[in-house]
Amino acid sequence: MFSEMIRKKAFGISLAIFVILLLAPSFLSRFYIYFLAVIFVTALLAMSLNLCVGHGMLFQFHHGVFYGVGAYSSGLLLAKTALPWWMAFSAGPLAAALAGLLIGIFCIRLNRLYFGMLQISLGSLIWAIAFRWYDLTGGDDGIHGIPIPDFIASTTSSYYFVLIVLGICVALMYLILKSPFGSTLQAIRDNPERCAAVGIHVRRHQLKAIVIATFFGGIAGVLFVVVEGSIFPDLLFWVLSLEIFIMCLLGGWFTFAGPMLGAAIIVSLRTFVGTYTEYWTLILGVILILLIFFLPEGIMGYNYRRLLRSRSKYTSESPVE
Amino acid sequence: MEGGQEITIAALSSTFLVGLSRAMILFVVTAGLSFVLGVLRVPNVAHGSLYMIGAFAAYSISTFFGGGSIGFWLALVFAPLVVALVSLIAERSLFCHLYQREHLMLLLFTFALMLILGDLTKIVWGAEYRSVMAPAFLQGSISVFGSPFPRYNLFLLVIGPLVAIGLWLFSTKTKMGKIARAAAVDMEMVGAIGINVSWVFAFAFVLGCLLAGLGGALVSPTISVTIGMDHNIIIEAFLIVTIGGLGNMWGALVGSLIFGITQAFGVLLLPQFAIVFPYLAVVIVLTLKPTGMLKSVW
Amino acid sequence: MLRVEDLHKSFDEFKAVNGAHLTVEKGQLVAVIGPNGAGKTTLFNLITGQLQPDNGTVLLNDEDISRLPPHVICRKGIARSFQIANVFHRLSVFRNVQISVLSQRKLSNKLFQPAARLVVDETHRILESVGLLDRKMDVAGSLSHGDKRILEIAIALGNEPKLLILDEPTAGMSPEETTTTMALIQRLAQEEGLTILFCEHDMEVVFGTAQSIMVMQQGHSIIQDEPEIVRQNTEVQQAYLGDE
Repeated sequence: MFSEMIRKKAFGISLAIFVILLLAPSFLSRFYIYFLAVIFVTALLAMSLNLCVGHGMLFQFHHGVFYGVGAYSSGLLLAKTALPWWMAFSAGPLAAALAGLLIGIFCIRLNRLYFGMLQISLGSLIWAIAFRWYDLTGGDDGIHGIPIPDFIASTTSSYYFVLIVLGICVALMYLILKSPFGSTLQAIRDNPERCAAVGIHVRRHQLKAIVIATFFGGIAGVLFVVVEGSIFPDLLFWVLSLEIFIMCLLGGWFTFAGPMLGAAIIVSLRTFVGTYTEYWTLILGVILILLIFFLPEGIMGYNYRRLLRSRSKYTSESPVE
Repeated sequence: MEGGQEITIAALSSTFLVGLSRAMILFVVTAGLSFVLGVLRVPNVAHGSLYMIGAFAAYSISTFFGGGSIGFWLALVFAPLVVALVSLIAERSLFCHLYQREHLMLLLFTFALMLILGDLTKIVWGAEYRSVMAPAFLQGSISVFGSPFPRYNLFLLVIGPLVAIGLWLFSTKTKMGKIARAAAVDMEMVGAIGINVSWVFAFAFVLGCLLAGLGGALVSPTISVTIGMDHNIIIEAFLIVTIGGLGNMWGALVGSLIFGITQAFGVLLLPQFAIVFPYLAVVIVLTLKPTGMLKSVW
Repeated sequence: MLRVEDLHKSFDEFKAVNGAHLTVEKGQLVAVIGPNGAGKTTLFNLITGQLQPDNGTVLLNDEDISRLPPHVICRKGIARSFQIANVFHRLSVFRNVQISVLSQRKLSNKLFQPAARLVVDETHRILESVGLLDRKMDVAGSLSHGDKRILEIAIALGNEPKLLILDEPTAGMSPEETTTTMALIQRLAQEEGLTILFCEHDMEVVFGTAQSIMVMQQGHSIIQDEPEIVRQNTEVQQAYLGDE
């Protein structure tokens, strides 16, 4: 079957990439190992956002809040308490999921537009609190030199830790999307009214998806602390959330692995462009405009459609309304 | 109570009036946002950026004309026009081609516009703090209930209602205003009776942005004009529009009043976390009335 | 089984439904007819919960369901199809039907089992009964209009309904497609023992199949009775003058 073939090919490619990444530290310099680790963390973050956006059509415009909450919870516990590291690490996703639940409960009762706007505003409150509560969070400066457990403190060991966690999370997300829960979520994305008519409690289902997505976002936050050893309010800042959103769009928001591709591209671009100019935000905006006009389904989305069309199993009917 | 002034009648009334004047600026800005929201059904995320450009433009214009009273009045007139021009360019060159697409694309475009305008502002004006001087007779303060109250704020208390009345007259008495209102309720109908929908959108967008620019010009003597103004104001504007009722101009007024006054009292009672007060008010309002206090236009 | 009593619904000034009455007995095939704008779709929306009535009641087996939300009403045994093809256009035909079967079996929230292995037989059975089995891997958005309407019905069947409500099932179909679809509907009524309520404004279609017909005009019910009696009724004839 056609889709079977694609799936087998994709699996093979993913496996090959994973093996290459496992071997990478042996032939890359320390900077590039660190750079890849940053991409992994961002990729996980983008994948978690896409659970909401690409597969659920929820306008999660301030996903960065949950990333930041995860990072801050675990970072603060590591820096300021004597709790064991695995407790601090677990606190990250749990706190993020809790925040996701609270903000989600509030926003989900409203329609899509309100949801997005309100999330931006409520999330910004958390940013403002982190920014101003100097005693607790280090305010504007953040906190640096967070003690990371020895076995993952070095560049290479943190690289492997992040890669393994990313792999596990991606596998879990794949299972979730292929499950009845994921299938129903995608149906809600396409037609929430129809879903209600077949007996699905749409809002509750969406809320569950948000909690799952924010949980993974929190894990990404913990990984950030592992890689960087510090936390600062920028993690909670709105423009970062926009950047993640653009990653999903760029890679292909209706595909599974698209966000990871988008993350890799944007992080690379940002690092590269950063050496020439400080106006990265401007370039980000231009990228977004180009995406809107020329590549609304992202790179992988576009490729997938081209593949399908070449099989002429697909009419000119566009799946994007 | 930590920090802040003593809670006296003077402090209370002064706080109330400060909140009220801040609400006037918020109203001018959110009325524009609401208007665009009502007609185009899209929240213009770049609205804050245009507000910021309005403030910077006011700085440039007033400095160009010597920085005194004349400079200020000229800035007040021309800064909004500059902003309107910027928005018209963005609209006619790019935005209008998206009207056939789904709403998410329009929304994302305004995001992109915000990013681009934000950096463009930094490129043109730099990252330092700028300031604009109010005209001489509006400087200083008068005494209200024993507390000093800036004269400029009085000016704002007059301008706010004037803008409100002007908008109301416009939307109910003029042809363009009535068309815009009809378009907000039923776009297809408006198109069906032969009116060019694209021009209605363009007009609504530019008018909304002009109001943002006016807000920026009005606020410029009261704060330091700097990068980052756009983020702060758009977050507040979203909240206000949400609690007021999407697309409803009077809702924008009500929301602005609630926001401005609670914020002022927050500064009085808990200066470090003053920001929490208006948010608390928002949470309360939305818990009781999830769709906003006044009826949404749609 | 289903009883609608004196239902009213207005949108601002416009009275979409203005005193509608309807009775559907178990096992019956009931049709609601009326000219365009008579309020048929609004009536259906009121019954299945997409809209809330201003006045009046909707009773399912003597239980008041007037103000319940759509997903709760679905759980009580009513499934419906929509007038405008309302499928999950990005998903395959198979998954379209599977969604409602999963929902019916309360499996929608399973997180770590692959959906591809669940309720496969039931989904295939439904697809076969409507004749779409050979198209099960096609993307729903690429189906012809007539096939989308049939997919609509298949999705509704996934809910194992006791009462199936179809909103203009043959709208936009060619004559052959119409005949096939009506034959399908009749077969479903007989073989599956389904109670079916549908609305139409093609007279031929209705008079050949329905056992009871309710006529609507401008939001209220003129009459409900057997086809022959309805056909003779003068008010009905007047309502349709200039419309046939």
